[in-house]
Amino acid sequence: MTRAKYSNIFYGYLFLLPYLILFCAFILLPLIYGLGLSLFQWEVLSNAPPRFIGLGNYREALGETYFWKALGATLRFVAMIVPSVVFGALLIALALNALPEKSGGFFKAAIFAPTIISISVAGILWRWFFSAEFGLFNAWLAPLGVKVPWITENRWAMKSVVLMTVWWTLGGPMVVLLAGLKQIPEQYYEAASIDGAGAMRRFFHITLPLLKPVLLFVIVMNIIGSFQVFGQTFMITRGGPELSTRVLVQYIYETAFASYRLGYGSAMSWLLFIVIAVFSILQFRLVRERE
Amino acid sequence: MFCIRKLTTFISLILLILFISLLANCGKSTGIKPSRKVVIRFWNGFTGPDGRTILRLVKRFNRENPDVQVLMQRMDWGVYYNKLFVAGLGGRAPEVFIVHASSMERFIQAQVARPVDDLVRGANGIDESDFAENIWQAVEKDGRHYALPLDVHPIGMYYNKKLFREAGIVDEKGNPKPPTNREEFLDALTKITKDIDGDGKNDQWGYVFTWYRTNMYTFLLQWGGRIFTPDYQKCVLDSAENVEAVRFFTDLIHKKKVIPPPENFDSWIGFRQGKVGIAFEGIYMLEDLKRQKDLDYGAAPLPLLGKVPAAWADSHTICFKKDLSGEHLDAAWRFAKYLSDNSLDWADGGQIPARKSLMESERFKGMTAQWEFAKMIPYIRYIPRVPFALEFLGEFDTAAERGLRGNVSAETALSEAAANVNKIIKRQNEEQKRSKP
Repeated sequence: MTRAKYSNIFYGYLFLLPYLILFCAFILLPLIYGLGLSLFQWEVLSNAPPRFIGLGNYREALGETYFWKALGATLRFVAMIVPSVVFGALLIALALNALPEKSGGFFKAAIFAPTIISISVAGILWRWFFSAEFGLFNAWLAPLGVKVPWITENRWAMKSVVLMTVWWTLGGPMVVLLAGLKQIPEQYYEAASIDGAGAMRRFFHITLPLLKPVLLFVIVMNIIGSFQVFGQTFMITRGGPELSTRVLVQYIYETAFASYRLGYGSAMSWLLFIVIAVFSILQFRLVRERE
Repeated sequence: MFCIRKLTTFISLILLILFISLLANCGKSTGIKPSRKVVIRFWNGFTGPDGRTILRLVKRFNRENPDVQVLMQRMDWGVYYNKLFVAGLGGRAPEVFIVHASSMERFIQAQVARPVDDLVRGANGIDESDFAENIWQAVEKDGRHYALPLDVHPIGMYYNKKLFREAGIVDEKGNPKPPTNREEFLDALTKITKDIDGDGKNDQWGYVFTWYRTNMYTFLLQWGGRIFTPDYQKCVLDSAENVEAVRFFTDLIHKKKVIPPPENFDSWIGFRQGKVGIAFEGIYMLEDLKRQKDLDYGAAPLPLLGKVPAAWADSHTICFKKDLSGEHLDAAWRFAKYLSDNSLDWADGGQIPARKSLMESERFKGMTAQWEFAKMIPYIRYIPRVPFALEFLGEFDTAAERGLRGNVSAETALSEAAANVNKIIKRQNEEQKRSKP
């Protein structure tokens, strides 16, 4: 190898170094520490020293109704949010792509705007929107004689959280998909039009196949992110009504920081990690096979 | 491409920066102080309007005490307790910090807070008998007091005077007459609850459940129920009295339909919008109402709906770091005493001072709502003092919610919660046993 090449490699690592340090200090080390912690019975309130109990915490989690209920709530959220966000982002990206640059810019900014609002602000706002007796949405619906129990009925609450999350997170995927759309060379569409392909055929035979890598990236990132849902449910429903929207991350948080059971909380975190890892591996497998 | 010389300059620059920042840190840790002031860190969760009040007090104290510098840090209560507790366990608690009486137990058990008896009885002390007995008791364990109670904040009755007048619930002089017992309460519910816009559904309500926890805890106690056996070894949340209390309200919600389906805190908006006749809320909500000029509201003690008077309450208490000594202890105590002595300023924002002499002052009598709510002090009740308070409250909140929403029976909701709490007690006991070899 030439000296230039060595120096390139060196600079590659050099520029990665700041992130690598942060990654190790704040992600990798806590991860490993958490794995160790999950094998101990460690209750902060107790005067007894932490005790090694092997897989005891994992066994307790798998045998506990609260754990399964929280995992179920998380899965329900993921199953609803991922298609909604991806579909919605795709539709809007297509629409924006068709618009001229100037007017498109306004809508792009408008749709992206909620993403930059912090979850606490958005959460407080939407909790009021959703209030059944005194909220904004039901005030709008009142003339129609409809009163939706947005967050007061078990069967509605998660859907309402999903609705809010779509509003809140749509911007990111939309921008990514829009960038993907812009990369598709115009000539393909021209050629297809000349060959007599309609809008539908152009979409399914040019746009979709060429957008696939970007689309898959968006889907995978969205699923991973959605499994870690916490802010929305914590702010809007606090996990209610009747714990129907208490997702796993919230339960982990409560276990570790309200019950002060660090070992048990770590064990559940690792179970969540395994679930996410399994989903991610499956997805990457799927992508590779198709390619 | 970069050349080696540039690289060397680059790396030495980075090293230089690191070196300088290291030096700067050394300076801090070796104790070079900017001035000779005693610095007292003061943490609390007063992030609402109460934050402005406490800030004023802190600034005043700093002005009047040039030798002390109180540095206040405010965080949201939820975040606050986690941070405080972890800091405390690591021996890095602030010199002075606020803890709710209901959260006291775990701070005592984890040995984060320091007993205050020597300070209270010391030269610059406070007469113990000046504290209302039950408030002073709320910070006591095994004969020692672990904090200086700053205030007490019970829930009480806020009522909408306009709706009361419209419903004709007035005394001889035509003034709105808030209910004092069950009959009057039910009468007010039926008279005020109605369908205003004519869509066949009620949209004005006599009473709403705001915070399940405070409201239901009050009702269970009013019905004569208990939460734990006296030795705290068994949770009896599913006792007959408690079931009866929950049933009384589920009937009003689901059968008689004079109380709307509960929405927890959000229903408070309904009271502020003038669509609700009565809400049982904390005295700390007063600031919210004061700023709302178009709402004609009154404040009164809670009506007696069950058999025994009771009202949920909690207190902000001032705690001290475990290992304080010397000038730090002296400064911390002076600051805490200053807050206590001036707690009428604090009370003005929607609190009741913990000290009787202040409660009996003319100035306090001028604070209408606080004065009304203070009448309940003899029968205020704190949340049971268990070290696993947060876990217990999680179960309690869920039980109250499930019971009121009526998807399961009152018995099921309460007995499932009791079973879960008993599991927690068992786990705690095993831990305790393990810690005593």
